[in-house]
Amino acid sequence: MNKINFACLILTISILIAGCGVQQEQAEEDISLNLLETNWETILKEAKDQTVNFHMWGGDDRYNRYIDEFIAPRLKEETGVTLNRVAITDTKDVINKLQNEKSVNKKDGTVDIIWINGENFKLAKDNGLLWGSFASQLPNVRQYVDINAPDIQYDFGEHTEGMEVPWGKAQFVFIYDEAKITQPPKSIKELGEWIKQNPGKFTYPAPPDFTGSAFIRQALYETTGGYEQYLNAANEEELDFIPLWDYLNEIEPNLWRGGETYPESLAKLDQLYSNGEVWMTMAYDPGKASSQIEKGVFPETTRTFVLEGGTLSNTHYLSIPFNAEHQAGAMVAINYLLSPEAQFAKMDPVHWGEGMSLDPSKLSNEDREQLHLLDLGKATLPADELAKYKVPEIPANYVKWLEEGWFEHVAKR
Amino acid sequence: MNMWQKGNPYLYVLPAVFFMIIFFFGGILQGVLQSLGVSIFHDDAQFTFKAYQELAQSIDFWQSLSLTFKIAFLSTLLSALLGMIIAFILFIISLKAYNTNRFPFLYRIFQYPLVIPHLAAGYLFLLLLMQSGWLSRISFQLGWIEEIYQFPILVNDTFGWGIILTYTWKEAPFITLMVYPVLLRVHKSWYEVARLYGSNMIKFLKNVAFPLVLPAWLSSIFIVFAFTFSAFEIPYLLGVTYPQLLPVYSFELFMHGGWEERSQSLALNIILAFITGILGIISYLLSKRWLSSERRGWE
Repeated sequence: MNKINFACLILTISILIAGCGVQQEQAEEDISLNLLETNWETILKEAKDQTVNFHMWGGDDRYNRYIDEFIAPRLKEETGVTLNRVAITDTKDVINKLQNEKSVNKKDGTVDIIWINGENFKLAKDNGLLWGSFASQLPNVRQYVDINAPDIQYDFGEHTEGMEVPWGKAQFVFIYDEAKITQPPKSIKELGEWIKQNPGKFTYPAPPDFTGSAFIRQALYETTGGYEQYLNAANEEELDFIPLWDYLNEIEPNLWRGGETYPESLAKLDQLYSNGEVWMTMAYDPGKASSQIEKGVFPETTRTFVLEGGTLSNTHYLSIPFNAEHQAGAMVAINYLLSPEAQFAKMDPVHWGEGMSLDPSKLSNEDREQLHLLDLGKATLPADELAKYKVPEIPANYVKWLEEGWFEHVAKR
Repeated sequence: MNMWQKGNPYLYVLPAVFFMIIFFFGGILQGVLQSLGVSIFHDDAQFTFKAYQELAQSIDFWQSLSLTFKIAFLSTLLSALLGMIIAFILFIISLKAYNTNRFPFLYRIFQYPLVIPHLAAGYLFLLLLMQSGWLSRISFQLGWIEEIYQFPILVNDTFGWGIILTYTWKEAPFITLMVYPVLLRVHKSWYEVARLYGSNMIKFLKNVAFPLVLPAWLSSIFIVFAFTFSAFEIPYLLGVTYPQLLPVYSFELFMHGGWEERSQSLALNIILAFITGILGIISYLLSKRWLSSERRGWE
């Protein structure tokens, strides 16, 4: 008898709790809808004292220190928002986590801000893992970002629809040693000739390494007649990559180790470069060479170059997941990350050394002056030169075809 | 009370058994299911042997398999011999010594590679042996070679010497660790008795010491083979782009492929586990036979 009573009690309590839960959910949904429409003051008030979990790739010490030592204390002081950086090894893990949470309808997620672009953004957007179109709510986006610029509006061919906010820009550059190469090549074709004249002094990381994969995309543009044809997604059958494979196979015998093997990662290629075994390396990060010089890893005479036909560039973004618990705090934090102060600090090679996502023409005169005074490091090309030789990325689905094709047509031969 | 006491030992091992069942067998089961195209995450998946069929038809797979076999075999052979030789040298030293302290210092030295993780060992050998590595530079400074490119290609080479050397360096001490304690149980007086009957050191080692360590040696050889056959880090760092060793091949399929390749990747792992399992059974049977006939020696 006692047991039955107890069971009844439990049942009643759980129904009550469930009822409350529903009401609370309703309330929470109302708030999050409001946040996309309300004014900035309300958001600031709501955000105060929130702790925001920022999930970002933790593989580079410079990036981590920039967030922990520069951003977090200033954000706390100015807005009362605490920024908690959560290091992850692969953004895809977060996407998987959100996907699982979506499938079990988990409302109070632990991810408030996610660092994202390309394939992962498309995946998140298609599966409804992102919160909503919050970009235009942020004052700094409205004031400083050119949201209609093609390289900001389209993330690897995918329309952002304000669901993510541009945080920074990266561009592919080649890295070389001025002491060994006086005239760096200006095109993929010239690079091929240079390789022939200097056998064993060049190689690239084996795709699917990120940078190696970017190198073959770079070669694809020039060998098949420009990037324009790839802006729209196509079917695999329609594509003709043969000139690319021909080029890569032609340079192969004169690559490092006769093309018998390729470095499995960019780290290995960098090692070969700093040991002097090869004379060039590459990076999808224009400021990396300067900071490697500063650290004493690369020789002092290291410089970077881009190609006449332009090098690949992409924008990376910040977004808020559908079940973020501290949406207001996330908006305030992202807004601060897009302030001129935070963006200039990020450009400084002491911190990070990468391009800003703000439009220089929208900055105040004072800020623009400060921008000119920034010392980007001796190996980094000036921002206007990088901007001049810049081509957009390819839609995400090409990347896999190219990587598989490379393995079949180049690695196996 | 009585019943409680009886049930006790079983109760105590329950957490361990539970852990084994869920994570070990559960993991294997999950792998088998996914390799057959069945998944709890995808409702539309169908039961199929397609992944195995595709692997069987792929040249990449057979190339990888034979290369993996070759490298695992050579690494195991070299480390088994070297490990055994080290153990015997230590043993001979301890036999000849007046002091029975058994040279702990020397023994310690051979144990150092054990504390270095495989990933670090792989990187260490890379820095040591690459053409712009330490050995090459030292040879250059000493004038043995005129250019660093004359240094032989020992890592990321098509034969796999880099992988084999690293494994040998890492696993030989492990073999010694398994074999030497068994040798230590051989009393010094046995050797004296053997000498009294006109035996010499070589005969003594061959007829007395070797049969005693054989079971321990065989099982450690098996462990080394199973490991070198399926470990990822060293072949990833020191291998070549093509052909890849099976663990690397499987990793690439899993990380960079789509859903279909994921089945193939798991099928590869199941094949790896299956081969290792078969070898395990063989080595178990072998050592059991040796054990039953040789064990009597101890009593």
